[in-house]
Amino acid sequence: MRDPDIILSLAGIAKSFGDKAALSHVDLDVRRGEVHVICGENGAGKSTLMNILAGIHQPNAGSIVLNGKTVTIADPIAASRLGIGMVHQHFTLVPSMTVAENLFLGRQPRRLGIFSDRRQMIERARELIARYNFHLDPEAPVRTLSVGQRQRVEILKALAFDADLLILDEPTAVLTPPEVDELIGVVDGLRARGRTILFITHKLREVKAVSDRVTVIRHGRSISTRDTADVTEADIARDMVGREVFLVGRKGNAQRSFGAPVLTLDSVSMTNHAGRRLLDRISLQVRAGEVLGIAGVDGNGQTELAEAIAGLMPVQAGKIRFGDRDLTDADLNERQQAGLGFVPEDRLDRGLSVTMSVAENVAATNYSRAGLLSGGLINRQKLDGFAGEKIKEFDVRGAQPATQAGWLSGGNMQKLVIARELERDPSLLLICQPTRGLDIGASEFVHARILQAADRGRAVLLISSELSEIFALSDRIGVMYSGRMMRVLDRAEADEETVGYLMNGGSKEAA
Amino acid sequence: MMAPALSNFLRVIRAPLAAILLTLALGFLLVASITDEPVRAYRDLLLANFDSLGNFALFLNRATPLTLIALGVVFSFRAGIFNVGGEGQLYAGAVTTTVVAIAGASLPAVVLMPLAIVAGFLAGAVIGWIPGVLKVRLAVDEVVTTLMLNIIILLITSWLANQVIRDTTAYGAVSWMVPSSIWLPPLPFVPRATSGFLVAAVLAVVSWVVLFRTQWGAEVRAAGTNLRFAEATGVPAARRVISAMVIAGGLAGLAGALYVLGVGHRFEQNFSPSYGLVGLTCALLARVHPIGSLATALFYAAMLNGAAYMQISTDVPRSLVNLLTGLLVLLMTARLRRAAQAA
Repeated sequence: MRDPDIILSLAGIAKSFGDKAALSHVDLDVRRGEVHVICGENGAGKSTLMNILAGIHQPNAGSIVLNGKTVTIADPIAASRLGIGMVHQHFTLVPSMTVAENLFLGRQPRRLGIFSDRRQMIERARELIARYNFHLDPEAPVRTLSVGQRQRVEILKALAFDADLLILDEPTAVLTPPEVDELIGVVDGLRARGRTILFITHKLREVKAVSDRVTVIRHGRSISTRDTADVTEADIARDMVGREVFLVGRKGNAQRSFGAPVLTLDSVSMTNHAGRRLLDRISLQVRAGEVLGIAGVDGNGQTELAEAIAGLMPVQAGKIRFGDRDLTDADLNERQQAGLGFVPEDRLDRGLSVTMSVAENVAATNYSRAGLLSGGLINRQKLDGFAGEKIKEFDVRGAQPATQAGWLSGGNMQKLVIARELERDPSLLLICQPTRGLDIGASEFVHARILQAADRGRAVLLISSELSEIFALSDRIGVMYSGRMMRVLDRAEADEETVGYLMNGGSKEAA
Repeated sequence: MMAPALSNFLRVIRAPLAAILLTLALGFLLVASITDEPVRAYRDLLLANFDSLGNFALFLNRATPLTLIALGVVFSFRAGIFNVGGEGQLYAGAVTTTVVAIAGASLPAVVLMPLAIVAGFLAGAVIGWIPGVLKVRLAVDEVVTTLMLNIIILLITSWLANQVIRDTTAYGAVSWMVPSSIWLPPLPFVPRATSGFLVAAVLAVVSWVVLFRTQWGAEVRAAGTNLRFAEATGVPAARRVISAMVIAGGLAGLAGALYVLGVGHRFEQNFSPSYGLVGLTCALLARVHPIGSLATALFYAAMLNGAAYMQISTDVPRSLVNLLTGLLVLLMTARLRRAAQAA
């Protein structure tokens, strides 16, 4: 039974918060020196499990065997003493301090017991960075680093404690595609040095790219553990969702005919207060029945493009036309009348008011259109009825009309925003980062809705930094870089290589 | 239909009610430790308001400005503006009504009375509009502007009371009386109570309808809870915030107008025992709910007046009320924090 190769073994782990069971029964064996992916939908219990290993939560039942000994992990300090290092999804770095200072925060080398020894600290940081080949400047302030670099500082921080077992909690959630590739390289390097890594994710591509074995968790139970080489993405998806998953997509070869242009941008430019060009002479057209996907690394003008089309940020030059109407200076309200449906990129920022009810959120743009007013007052019964209909139609789980929107999970919030915007059957659907942070089931649903709208002859402008999404849904693909539209490609001539090349500004070097 | 509405209502008032009862219980222990007649003291604190029609009238008169100011605070807070300028808006309304009433004394009452009331409302509205615009257009912090406006208005009104409209035959800084033809009639059956209370009670219901049953109200609350969400759904968010502040100031101004016409019959320098702040507390205790604000304003009025009766009949000082208030706020915030953590 005792296998010396097993570094960590969990048996029957359960954890509930109040009367809600986050984990009901999890078994897990992790072999020394492997990269083991824990995979599951949002809310399956991945984070709870990791927090138990990191000593943040205590399990209600089950045993943890580490290096052949049964242990209790009382708190995070105990975890690091046991050789478990955790890299959280949200960084825990001090932006104003240097890399070295962050690495040794709270345990600086001392001289005479009191003075901190900066030189020794920097020297040791340099050694650590060199040992793992991380290309970081120990004296650079963390605020000057990119997200990917910050993550490497986090990983180093965990390794500085000589962690045998490194836990990475959704490490790719904050990374751009090139940074994801770099991280996968980093993980490979750590494995080569004999570290054991637990890697949490819900993205199927990463599972295949990074892991030796994969354990799927669903509804707080461990469903399966398999060698990654033996499974397909579809197998993992089925285990995660508990049923067959249909990954929808535009059937690339089908001959489609598109209608007249619904949205036309003619050399649109936008400058911020500091005089920096945010959008640089963007021209594009979206035709009825077409999905135009806009790819690009986050922060290359996609947000501003969406805000310009929605009328939330003024443009300094160029024309924005809906059909034949010039709406360059119209406000959002007028554009809605003209047929715009707008799903903002961040549901918490612009998409919803989390303290208002589900009903009020879904009705926000639809009061008069959906006939929710009678005699100038909101008719409560009609409002609740309308919200109930939308909840059912869009399968918003855990929602009643009176539920606070903020109590829903991310995927259900997103469905709410989409339900609201599709209610008007807009002739132009501007939809940004539609599946960010969503699990497979919810993504599948959202994608199907987008394609449905296009099939009904609506124009769809899809802005996403998730390349697989762009490729799956678009009829044409535009690539943005540094506020410019590098090119708009037909789906047939667009492959990952070309698009990736354009995303980096047309240079061969990864950003 | 009725049953869920009722249970919903009970759910809303359960927490404040529990906090009030707990406060009173703790307060009783305190009173018992300083006086030999704790029951008598507590009876006076809570019930002396209802001993006579006169006491009852004073209680309603006290509750009227508190309710109106609290309603104003509800509008501004729902729009996301932390408006602490109730006191200034109140004084602006009171003094404007007085000036208009004195200056227009020759006009017939049917013209002068509405004119004076509207003038008071508008004066408060202007004082509410200023911080609203500054906040929306220039992102100036509203706590600073409303607090500073309080001081400015207090000084201007006391200058007016001392120098311009002062009743030279009276003692103290008070204005001339307003014409008795435009005094508000008393409440039916309660001779010395102002009918302004009816106005306040009706406006509490109207405010609830406006905020929770109109699209305008939904838009104000959308702007107040998430301005960027409101913009993205096509709401003219800045305009909604400003109009909510105009109404907030107007309601506090109306409180001043009705006080002058219904109770004081003249402008008195320092006529308000911090109605602005107490009204704010009432609104917060009611969780920024209009109907709840009417209830908390009545409770506060009962406590404020009851404390005076208690001090007269026993040796418990009236400042006990301040202590109870502090305790109540503490308990309410403790509850809110627990609720927030649970969510």
